[in-house]
Amino acid sequence: MTYLLRIVFAALVVFILQITVVHNVTAAGASPDLIMVMLVVLVIDRNPIAGIIAGFLLGFLQDLGNASFLGMNALAKSIVGYGIARYGRDYLPDNILFKGLLVFVACLIHDIITLHIATLFDPAEVIPAFFRYSILSAAYTALLAVLVMQIIDILPRRMVRSGGRY
Amino acid sequence: MQIFSFLFDRHLEKTVLAAAIALSVFMLTRPEDSKISAVRSISSFLLYPVGRASDYFTSVEELSAENDWLRERVVSLSYENERLTQFRDERNRLRELLGFRKDSFYEFMPCDVIARSSSRFHHSITVDRGAGSGVRPGMPVVGYRGLAGRVTQVFPSSSRVLLLNNKSVSVSCLVKRSRVVGVLAWERGNRFSLGFVGKEEDVIPGDTLITSGFGRVFPKGFPIGTVVHSTEEKTELSRRVGIVCMTDLNKLEEVFIITGGRDWEGGQAWLELEKSRREGEAEQRNKDGEGGEQ
Repeated sequence: MTYLLRIVFAALVVFILQITVVHNVTAAGASPDLIMVMLVVLVIDRNPIAGIIAGFLLGFLQDLGNASFLGMNALAKSIVGYGIARYGRDYLPDNILFKGLLVFVACLIHDIITLHIATLFDPAEVIPAFFRYSILSAAYTALLAVLVMQIIDILPRRMVRSGGRY
Repeated sequence: MQIFSFLFDRHLEKTVLAAAIALSVFMLTRPEDSKISAVRSISSFLLYPVGRASDYFTSVEELSAENDWLRERVVSLSYENERLTQFRDERNRLRELLGFRKDSFYEFMPCDVIARSSSRFHHSITVDRGAGSGVRPGMPVVGYRGLAGRVTQVFPSSSRVLLLNNKSVSVSCLVKRSRVVGVLAWERGNRFSLGFVGKEEDVIPGDTLITSGFGRVFPKGFPIGTVVHSTEEKTELSRRVGIVCMTDLNKLEEVFIITGGRDWEGGQAWLELEKSRREGEAEQRNKDGEGGEQ
């Protein structure tokens, strides 16, 4: 219960940071997705159902900031959460660089889904936006995720983990 | 049942994923106003504690300003409270004095204590009434709880009062309950002893001591103190009786000089005694002188 409360608290903090701080740290128009970083950190060693639920809830939380596309991030992050939990644990070597790569790919998939929904499946708008923003944002987010995972590895296990997981 | 088994046993992960996707698509396809109202209600529910906290702590600057204002108020109210406490104490004292005065047969002259002796073994006070107000040497002085001392020196507008807590002062007393007579003498602080009390006399702790009026130096019936211990001395004929004075002689602020009253002329007896004592001393000196000349 305490662990769950900690996650809820952390999710709220990350959400507040996402909507208040992130637009101040943009680089070349790209900004990191802190909620995606949290999703990866949370579900990378868990079972796929936990990945789906965590992804849906975190995405839904993000959707509360933009009512017009309510459900868009919930959908994208549910799929990404499932993918990370399903393939991240079984097929990915235990190496921080591969984890960074996983975050990068997850961000790209997330952006492909959200861009399609936001542009109502118009390829003419999806492709330029993807190349202009998504790749850079994914790289930025992956870099941040690597940094966060490294910091978490340094912290005492009891502080950030439950049952050997984040 | 087979469908449930297929969905929840064999393909649970995919079922949950499909449910999440279906729910997301359902939300995406809702009308715009429905989404907005849903988001608004969920957000207000989730952010309710934050909103309350935000309302309470409107801003750091505002809190700081409020804190400064409250500090000023605390200082101001502390001083005011202190002043009111003094007024309250003074009122209580005066009420007691007034009650004391109404119940008495004597004439009291209210005085303020304007000075206090600094000597360790000669305890006296100076009051703001003197010969101009009709004060004479020998007049008894009382506080609102009981006897305090006697006027020894009178100046035009002030008088010196010798308090009970001096070795040179002796007061004839009665134990109020058993009417046992004794002589009060100062020991230390606010503690006195009652001398010349026989071994068989009835004096117990808690008894009240009053002035006896013998010799008419002090008027009869004024409370002096309370008996705190009364012990028999095996080798002596007298009893040791400890007294605590009712009036705190070290904290006198207002006193009354007894200037007169029913069947009693304040200080007259003391003056007569003083006069006879001086005459006796002069006569003795004369005799000594004559003896020396011879």
